[in-house]
Amino acid sequence: MAKKILFIEDEEILLNLLQKKLTNEGYEVFIAKDGEQGLKKMREVLPDLVLLDILMPKMSGFEVMEEINKYPELKKIPVIVISNSGQPLEIDRIRGLGAKDWLIKTQFDPQEVVEKVKKQIGE
Amino acid sequence: MNSQKDFFQSEEIHPVKSSSAKSETGAEQFNGLKEKREERIALLNILEDIEESREKIEEEKNKTLAIIYNFTDGLFIFDKENNLFLINPQAEAFFNIKSKDVTNKTISNLSGFPTLKPLIHLLSSQQPNVKTIKKIFRKEMKLRKNLILEVSAIPIKKEEKNLGTLIILHNITREKKIERIKTEFVSLAAHQLRTPLSAIKWTLKMLLDEDLGKINEEQREFVEKTYESNERMISLINDLLDVTRIEEGGYLFKPILADIQNIIQLIINSYKEQIQERKIKFEFKKPKTKAPKVKVDVEKIKLVISNLLDNAISYTKPGGSVLVSLKYDKKKIEISIKDTGVGIIKDQQERVFSKFFRGANVIRMETDGSGLGLFITKNIIEAHGGKIWFESEENKGTTFCFTLPIKRNIIK
Repeated sequence: MAKKILFIEDEEILLNLLQKKLTNEGYEVFIAKDGEQGLKKMREVLPDLVLLDILMPKMSGFEVMEEINKYPELKKIPVIVISNSGQPLEIDRIRGLGAKDWLIKTQFDPQEVVEKVKKQIGE
Repeated sequence: MNSQKDFFQSEEIHPVKSSSAKSETGAEQFNGLKEKREERIALLNILEDIEESREKIEEEKNKTLAIIYNFTDGLFIFDKENNLFLINPQAEAFFNIKSKDVTNKTISNLSGFPTLKPLIHLLSSQQPNVKTIKKIFRKEMKLRKNLILEVSAIPIKKEEKNLGTLIILHNITREKKIERIKTEFVSLAAHQLRTPLSAIKWTLKMLLDEDLGKINEEQREFVEKTYESNERMISLINDLLDVTRIEEGGYLFKPILADIQNIIQLIINSYKEQIQERKIKFEFKKPKTKAPKVKVDVEKIKLVISNLLDNAISYTKPGGSVLVSLKYDKKKIEISIKDTGVGIIKDQQERVFSKFFRGANVIRMETDGSGLGLFITKNIIEAHGGKIWFESEENKGTTFCFTLPIKRNIIK
């Protein structure tokens, strides 16, 4: 059975691009357009991995991670943060909240996202 | 106001002493009386002249004082013994003090006034102290939340004689606020630009990887070129963000003990292809024994070395050479990057480290570059407590050198 990935991101084109890429790689991809929806989907789907944006309407990626940390069944799901800024302070906070990995949008491309995903949960 | 005499009445005015001659005979007496009358008139005239001069001097003094009192900048004047000789109302307002409480006090006595502490601290932190201020210096000082002053200290001299020190306090709160808003704007704009740039990057990359279907050779060529343009835009935006971070402070993050030689080698390796492509003779001169580790922010030092190396390689014509050397003594590590490139035009050399500077001869040969690299480089080196300088001759080449202190590390 295909591994499930949930991608939480407010920029639609990035959602579409990565959904396509990850689907091509054989993953089952679920998407959410803000933090609130993302958290809801996470509970429903219980994915194998979450790709999480930071700056989003309604609920930021930071808040999503804080919420995740409250529930053991969500906490064990690995999170990779896809951030826009990559400021050292932000990265420290991401690490502190228990993200497995992080990447900066302008420095990475979809192929490298796939590689990071594979490193966490395999093919 | 008595004490002001020294400053504004440099010459004392001595009244002319009257002489009284004694005369005997009538004619002599008459003559004597006449003389006396004339003398008296002359004396009166002199007195009148003196009075007039005194008034003039008084008027001049009042004018000078009026200028000082109504000056929009705050003024402190110290005499040559370093006693506070005079302050104007603007200075009183800046520090919430009264002139009569503080005048005729020495610098050390003044530090007893809590509001004056930052100023006294700034003045006494000069090398070695305010007494020896030989030339003008300028410093910024944040006094309270809504008040930032620029402090200028100027030695007052008259024909090489030291008369004291003038401290001018210029309110730059508004300028600083505008500067901050500008920085915030650039930061915001750059951040906002990154999201669409990411979207473009990802789309183009997926097209190139044929994730969205096969493309032909011509299409690939165009998409590749567009991808490169977009990468240049991203790096320009990143440079702009670096500049705003420098301006906002707190640019350096985690300093760790690192081996500079390894960092340099790593950067050189990433330029190997470019060096070969441009047919440049390249050498890395290392010290016989390895340089000690120094505390640095590794990412930022990488940026410094690659900025300098990139310039050296880009602005050296094929057949030229680039020499990187590393040496050290007890106090510091010194790195130099020497090229035989186009050089920097002499009358532009003083602007090399300023924001958005690009050499006129360089703009002609390569249109790329934000003009921010050396500004960022200088800020990084200085935040590490190091120094950076260069020597350059047009069409001969340029050498950039920088040092990193081994022990003392000031990380802001």
